[in-house]
Amino acid sequence: MLVIKGLKARVEDKQILNGIDLTINPGEVHAIMGPNGSGKSTLAHVLSGRPGYEITGGSVTLDGKDLLALSPEDRARAGVFLAFQYPVEIPGVNNTYFLKAALNAVRKSKGEEELDAMDFLELVKAKLKPLKMDESMLQRAVNEGFSGGEKKKNEILQMAVLEPKLGILDETDSGLDIDALKVVADGVNALRGKNRSFLVVTHYQRLLDYIVPDQVHVLAGGKIIKTGGKELALELEEKGYGWLTGEKVNA
Amino acid sequence: MSTLTTQDLYLSSFSQLQAKLPGQDAAWLKTLRLQALEQFKQTGFPTDELESWKYTNLSLSLLKESFTFDAPASTTAVAAQLKKAGFDTEKAHLMVFVNGQFSKELSSLKTLAKGVAVQNIASALTNETVKAFVGKIALSENRAFTALNAAFFTDGLFIQLEAGKVLDAPVHVVYVSTNAGQATQSHLRNLLVLANDSKANVIEHYWGENVSAYFTNVVTEAALAKGSTLEHMKIGQEDIKGYHIGSLIAQQEEGSHFTARLFSVGGALTRNDIETTLGQKKAECVMEGLYLAKDKQHVDTRTFIDHLSPNCNSTEVFKGVIDDQAVGVFDGRILVRENAQKTDARQSNKNLLLTKEAKVYSKPQLQIYADDVKCSHGSSTGQIDDEALFYLQSRGISREEAKKVLVYAFAGEMVEKIESAYLKPALKKLVDGWMEVS
Repeated sequence: MLVIKGLKARVEDKQILNGIDLTINPGEVHAIMGPNGSGKSTLAHVLSGRPGYEITGGSVTLDGKDLLALSPEDRARAGVFLAFQYPVEIPGVNNTYFLKAALNAVRKSKGEEELDAMDFLELVKAKLKPLKMDESMLQRAVNEGFSGGEKKKNEILQMAVLEPKLGILDETDSGLDIDALKVVADGVNALRGKNRSFLVVTHYQRLLDYIVPDQVHVLAGGKIIKTGGKELALELEEKGYGWLTGEKVNA
Repeated sequence: MSTLTTQDLYLSSFSQLQAKLPGQDAAWLKTLRLQALEQFKQTGFPTDELESWKYTNLSLSLLKESFTFDAPASTTAVAAQLKKAGFDTEKAHLMVFVNGQFSKELSSLKTLAKGVAVQNIASALTNETVKAFVGKIALSENRAFTALNAAFFTDGLFIQLEAGKVLDAPVHVVYVSTNAGQATQSHLRNLLVLANDSKANVIEHYWGENVSAYFTNVVTEAALAKGSTLEHMKIGQEDIKGYHIGSLIAQQEEGSHFTARLFSVGGALTRNDIETTLGQKKAECVMEGLYLAKDKQHVDTRTFIDHLSPNCNSTEVFKGVIDDQAVGVFDGRILVRENAQKTDARQSNKNLLLTKEAKVYSKPQLQIYADDVKCSHGSSTGQIDDEALFYLQSRGISREEAKKVLVYAFAGEMVEKIESAYLKPALKKLVDGWMEVS
């Protein structure tokens, strides 16, 4: 489904990704782990089309479609969803309005009928429950004044509404307490299915206790330096990244 | 030298027009007109050397044009247009002026209660109240356009409410400029006189449908007696060939409430002066506005709140969205005089620039001479937040749509503040429409 070949990218003069090769099949969950500055978040951003990165080589396709040639909105319509590490607060834009506009934009691009306010409300209310979110948040401005946990839940809610083919979670566990983490992970797990894949970017193994990956990749210096099963995450937790990157391990 | 030429043109026009202007049987007005002309002669048109006109250079725009006083008699489908714009005019008293002349055919007033007068001012020039107030609130001294207006005004709105009277339905006044080939001008004078505890809701709505350039020069004077309430809305929808210079000047007595709102989207050049004097204790004023400009439009808003007396409140919020190579100016002055203890004055001006060429000059001024007061002011000018833009795009919303969402997120606050069910849908439509074609 997602095929990344030799992907290289830089920000201004700094080369960050140095040739990433990664294939994610339908229904699979892949975790990307790595030390700070390894390029994890850059990979997530580049896949979603965030401006500010220059692609210097390689290709990315989603179901054969050249993702890198698409605008961010067209990537979203093609089924890519990025759950932000730092969801953006947008004062003055009502959350319901935002969710509905997003869903209808995606539906329209697929030639599906747009939902009216009533049908949409019914749909979104059903999605709120498993995330233990209060209906009142629908009336608030997008992420404005939300706690860290509420913001992350709101990301998962958006994902649940948009039903993407590929969900990219960028450090979704950061800033979450254990209860919120469980709720968020349950929300993600509920979305797992044979036609939906996930790329879970995380610094810590903790999240992977709850969202169990099929494969774990270690990213360092802009390259995948090791790939393994879920047990690789535990090994990293125990040993740190030093034994893979060749840096000295702090005792 | 165009300034001199234009000024001379007005002076010579006056001698020709004098005998045709309304109020031939009102000696006071004849005197007022002559005095005003003399004042205009002294003052001349403002140049950008004046602080209050620093960012609006008329010699490059308005004063390069010449406008005829012979406005063509014309008619227009006002009711249908208002309906299309989202106004349910059945619910309002509708007054229509076309090219500075009152149109009885296009107007439709509901039944008015005793003690309530709503009429065109040209038909009320021998009225003692009109005589008592015209030119007394908006002074012509050192104000070229107010002086010109006093000398040349042909008509306008006159509202008078006796004590305790309430005008339930809004008075929606439409000033249409329409010309086919000649550059036209109209000078309109409105007078709103509210006696004790009376209440009115007035909408001044300017629009144009023109082939040639035109100039609208309006002065509105409002007298708010003790405990009275005036809700005033000015909608500026002049077309792209229009020059609009307008003043709204109020005087407030004890415990009166004055709300002055401005929605300005039109005009090649628009200048609005909105002023009030909180002349007695516990008077309150709210000034709010939204100005939207694109292409090469120039929109200049100047406000002045004079806190003369103790225990008065003023709240002021103006927002601007400037696109393309347009220019916005906001000059908001609050003066808290020595005697105005326990003043609560707040002012905010926020601007959103949509391009690199768009410009805003924001000048908040707070002058405080009393010591026991609460005053605040703030001004900010920024661009669309790229992070927010990307966030919306990453959810499938097109970049263009996302921009509109963010502009409305900024500007929509001024629509949401409107409580009037008559105005709100139409103003929302106005703002949406502006974004649609930008």
